[in-house]
Amino acid sequence: MTYYVFTLVFFLFDYWILAMGLNIQYGETGILNFAYIGFVAIGAYFTGVFSLHSAKGTGQFYILGLGLPFPLNLLLGGIAAMSLALLVALITLRRLRTDYLAIVLISLSLVLYDFCNNYVGLFNGADGLYNVPEPFAKPFGLNVNSFIPFFACVAAVVSLLMWFAMSRVMRSPMGRTFRAVRDDEVVAAALGKNVFGVKLKSMLIGSFYAGVGGGLLIQFGGSFNPTAWLPGETFVVFAVLLVGGVGSNLGMFVGALLVETLLIHLPAFLPEIPGHPGLIEYFDSALVGIVLMVMLWFRPQGVAPERLRRTPSFGVVPQDSDNSGAIGSLSSPAALELGDAP
Amino acid sequence: MTVGGVLDRTEIAALRCDGITKAFQGVHAVNGAAFDVPEGQITALIGPNGAGKTTVVNILSGAMRCDSGREFLGETEVTNWPSYRIARLGLLRTFQLSRELGGLTVLENLLTAPAHQEGESLANVFFRPGRVRRQEREHAERALDVLDIYGLYQHRDVRARELSGGQKKLLEIARAVMAEPKILLLDEPMAGVNPALIELIGAYIVDLRESGVTVLMIEHNLNVVEQICDYVVVLAEGRTLATGRLNELRQNTAVVKAYLGEVIDAGAAH
Repeated sequence: MTYYVFTLVFFLFDYWILAMGLNIQYGETGILNFAYIGFVAIGAYFTGVFSLHSAKGTGQFYILGLGLPFPLNLLLGGIAAMSLALLVALITLRRLRTDYLAIVLISLSLVLYDFCNNYVGLFNGADGLYNVPEPFAKPFGLNVNSFIPFFACVAAVVSLLMWFAMSRVMRSPMGRTFRAVRDDEVVAAALGKNVFGVKLKSMLIGSFYAGVGGGLLIQFGGSFNPTAWLPGETFVVFAVLLVGGVGSNLGMFVGALLVETLLIHLPAFLPEIPGHPGLIEYFDSALVGIVLMVMLWFRPQGVAPERLRRTPSFGVVPQDSDNSGAIGSLSSPAALELGDAP
Repeated sequence: MTVGGVLDRTEIAALRCDGITKAFQGVHAVNGAAFDVPEGQITALIGPNGAGKTTVVNILSGAMRCDSGREFLGETEVTNWPSYRIARLGLLRTFQLSRELGGLTVLENLLTAPAHQEGESLANVFFRPGRVRRQEREHAERALDVLDIYGLYQHRDVRARELSGGQKKLLEIARAVMAEPKILLLDEPMAGVNPALIELIGAYIVDLRESGVTVLMIEHNLNVVEQICDYVVVLAEGRTLATGRLNELRQNTAVVKAYLGEVIDAGAAH
């Protein structure tokens, strides 16, 4: 029972991280990143190969195998995802927007998937990586059962740190510039914002979150293979984002709770329907789609939508204006007589 | 009919363009436009519909690249620079159809405008939060002053997309002013607004000139041009037809034929 509960807790926090990363790209900056799960996978694989020791004699084939300790391999996994993002951004972000960018990114996701699935020398192909060392298992004397709750707590701590950092970014002028680019690139450029640079930053930050989220996934399960990141998984993260509320970090926590925990993972623990193995899983995927449609129809802003930032949050106290200023009152001091205006 | 470089020796060109051409799939929208925008004055850019006025503004502000020709901001050649770099040199523009940052509040629209904000760097956000907060407060105080002047103060915490059409026009100008422009390009700031608001916007533009801003505005309303503009550039078929003061241009048969003669039509279009 504790095993089930803490597995759900882990996925809650992990998908919260993933949703925050996608939100900074899509929700804040308007980059429709349909390859998001690819960045998660790169983060997971690299965290794995940084943590695993040399592949010799393991029956697996993979690159690196550096045997680095836990927080370091996770960090490097995030940076690996960022590096891929840098490459992708340099190729795509300068010229492509909205739907065209989405098409290119979804193709990228498919190419990346086929490549990792078939090129065994990279991340062990279709079998994927396994026997990835469990962090802190030896020093703390954790066994298979106690590791799950322990690592769920680690994920909670990591996600809270990342939430803190993300709120900082979103509240800063940098976050505002992201949203300006999202709302109108041409206006942002006309105000002196380097739109490509802004998008690149957002892409890198979001990919770091994707990479770390993926890294936690492989550390939690000890294995990671292509079935874990079918390109359609990107839409689960989008569902978390849209159900929870684009632009709101806490909303995404709610979204992760509703979509990832309650809809996707909880039913997996239900007993099978006799005679129809796997039927629940299929119903489950359909349910996510239905919930998404219902949400977009009835509450497109999400369960816990983005909140407006009002004047006092910028450190100034609003006072009553002496220019009541309603348009048409023309109390403006220098109102001109423009002759016989038409 | 002189083309370009027609200012008195005492006047300095804040913005100069020469031989600008731009074709859209064979249609020559701009075909050798050349003129100076004198510093510290209000210059009107007039001409019949399809004369290439908006295309010229798009090229001057960097939103569009020209096929040939040169553009100077003061002494700096900025031909085909991207718009963010031109904006950072102090040339700001507004749009013919208001383009507000709809998801941001009115106050945030203004706060986005200043260039080189400390808080746009990740390092500053995490390691110099005090500096970021101080600058943010200064910007907010100035933004509230600007909003007060433009009569948008009470709407400061409203999402910009919820403003009315006239308020959006004012927000366009207020946002550009917040960026402390040296040169302001206004693309039909008074199109589609009521007569009272036309007067108000006119007054704001004159105030801007008094504070030292150079203004280039596309305007169809000749009353407005007569009342507030110091200098007029007439475009027709993508070329500079004439430059000078409006009363001089009224004597110019080519100008009268191309534009002033059709003033009734142009007025009716509004």
